[in-house]
Amino acid sequence: MTTVATTTSPTILDIPEARFPVRLGVENRRIRDLFHTATRLQWNPATDIDWDELHPEQYSQAQREAARMYWSRRAWSEYGAISESPALQIRFCHERCPPDMALFFSIRSQEESRHAEVCYRMAEALGGYFEQPAAVAYQGSVATHGIRKIALDPEVSLEGTIAALVCAAEEIAFDVFRHIIEIATNPVARQIARMILRDETRHCAFGWAFLEQRMPQLSPAQKDVVRGAVVNMIEKVELNGYHSSWLAPDSPAARAEERVDNVTWEAGLGATTEALEKPVFLRSIVAMRQRMHDDWGIDIPLFTHPKIATPF
Amino acid sequence: MLGRSGPTPIKVERRFPLDLHKSALAIRQLYETAKVERWSPEKDIQWESFDATAHEPGARAAARRVWSRRAWIEYTGLAETPALVIRFCLERDREADPKYFLTVRNTEEAWHLECFHRYAEACGGYIERPDNAQWEPLFNQSLYRDALDAELGIDGYVFTHCAFVDGLECELTRAWRDNARDPVARAILDRCLVDRQRHAEFGWLYAQRRAAMLDDVQRAEVVSALVGHIEHVEFAGYSCVGLATVLDATAEIADLAVVAQAGLGGISADAEVELFADHLAESRVRLADLGVMLPLMHHARLGAV
Repeated sequence: MTTVATTTSPTILDIPEARFPVRLGVENRRIRDLFHTATRLQWNPATDIDWDELHPEQYSQAQREAARMYWSRRAWSEYGAISESPALQIRFCHERCPPDMALFFSIRSQEESRHAEVCYRMAEALGGYFEQPAAVAYQGSVATHGIRKIALDPEVSLEGTIAALVCAAEEIAFDVFRHIIEIATNPVARQIARMILRDETRHCAFGWAFLEQRMPQLSPAQKDVVRGAVVNMIEKVELNGYHSSWLAPDSPAARAEERVDNVTWEAGLGATTEALEKPVFLRSIVAMRQRMHDDWGIDIPLFTHPKIATPF
Repeated sequence: MLGRSGPTPIKVERRFPLDLHKSALAIRQLYETAKVERWSPEKDIQWESFDATAHEPGARAAARRVWSRRAWIEYTGLAETPALVIRFCLERDREADPKYFLTVRNTEEAWHLECFHRYAEACGGYIERPDNAQWEPLFNQSLYRDALDAELGIDGYVFTHCAFVDGLECELTRAWRDNARDPVARAILDRCLVDRQRHAEFGWLYAQRRAAMLDDVQRAEVVSALVGHIEHVEFAGYSCVGLATVLDATAEIADLAVVAQAGLGGISADAEVELFADHLAESRVRLADLGVMLPLMHHARLGAV
């Protein structure tokens, strides 16, 4: 019999459900509106992308190969949001958060499915989806952002989790996607990035809308926890290469992934490069820091990374 | 599971290799169909056509209670379905198709929930909890925990909740719709029925897919999960209040009679019990075809069913 690995840390699952009173009215108008907007703007990767415009035959074998890996990596990243982020919805119900949040997240998870599906379809159209990184060493950078464990942990602040996942990580991903729309030349790559970006706009807005309501109610100590969660997400996940291969710890595997990005970018098939993405990433960090200071009154420190010359 | 003393064990994910190819083709088709048949509670239900004055105050009062109760049941999916999505991701070598499908199912549950809430509001006001607090534990099943509990097999969960229960919800919705004369109630139930047919089909398709892989121990676990749910939850009146024998369902049964008579989207409690018995009998046959032998169970009033 195979032994299955399990975790047995205390989680919110250990606390019996107490759903009543079941509140269903609007408690956060902005988030409820995001739910309704998302309902109106649903799209379908199978039918709403002009796949005939891809023309993979116009690209070299090396370019198609690189782009296959790039879009497979994007699919893994989107899949993480299917496998992990739904835990936040359980948390919203468990903590009896405003009902708008769980309603919105129900469609957010579906959007993450669409994103994984469209990235998978793109990899397939380019020659075939890859089921894993070429090198095992790179798995650590793209395997998980750890949100499932955090979301189910009753000791971890929900506000900190949303701030880190949405207002930090997803804001960076949003800016990078916008940048990719600007530099990709293949019409299908651009179309996919545009459709994902449209959804991500709402995903980011959700986080700020939630925290706009919650932050004024937090004590200084609780705000410090939020700050710590954001710093941890940037340092341990983003600067470890979860979204951007050039930020991953230097290794032959990471360098191979960077080569994949470079070739895909040269072909205009959707990726970017260290040189092009670095200023986008840095501006994103600066904007996030400013907004968290202005809106929440918390100060995010400067970060360092071996590939970035000065603290940022 | 209720009664556990320590933390709920949760499986550890092995993310790679990550297979995203289509493998359960019929389930993938359900996902594709669901995307195409998307709808919007705001746009596709003509809420303004609801005429409250066309119904007696007593009928509206009964309807707001009946539809509120439906919302409490539908609310289960807001936490349960995400847990099930995660569980499929934690299980080794599970197909991508059910994961994709379940994310769409969850959106549809959210739309149903919004509709039930809004219809109860239109009938006089949504009610946040049962008048009789003794009903509350029946709703607080912590299904999201069971879905993630590594010591409970996912197959028993799917057979019970995705096939049997979702099938029952589908049949109830069909009967409510068929007896609805109010156009808004009928429009809501029309939409729900299409979604719930897919939900039930998913459950039976996945049960069918898994059935051949189950050993005797796993089959016994599936039977145990089904029997446990039917005896302790359904027989207590969760889906069909007419089945309740311990809790006093007099008020809920009376409400159903009024709503059924007024055409506001319901059938009588007796009709629901009859539908339940039929569904149980049909499910027993379908389960037997899959090699899962569901025994007769004893209901305090109906006897062996």
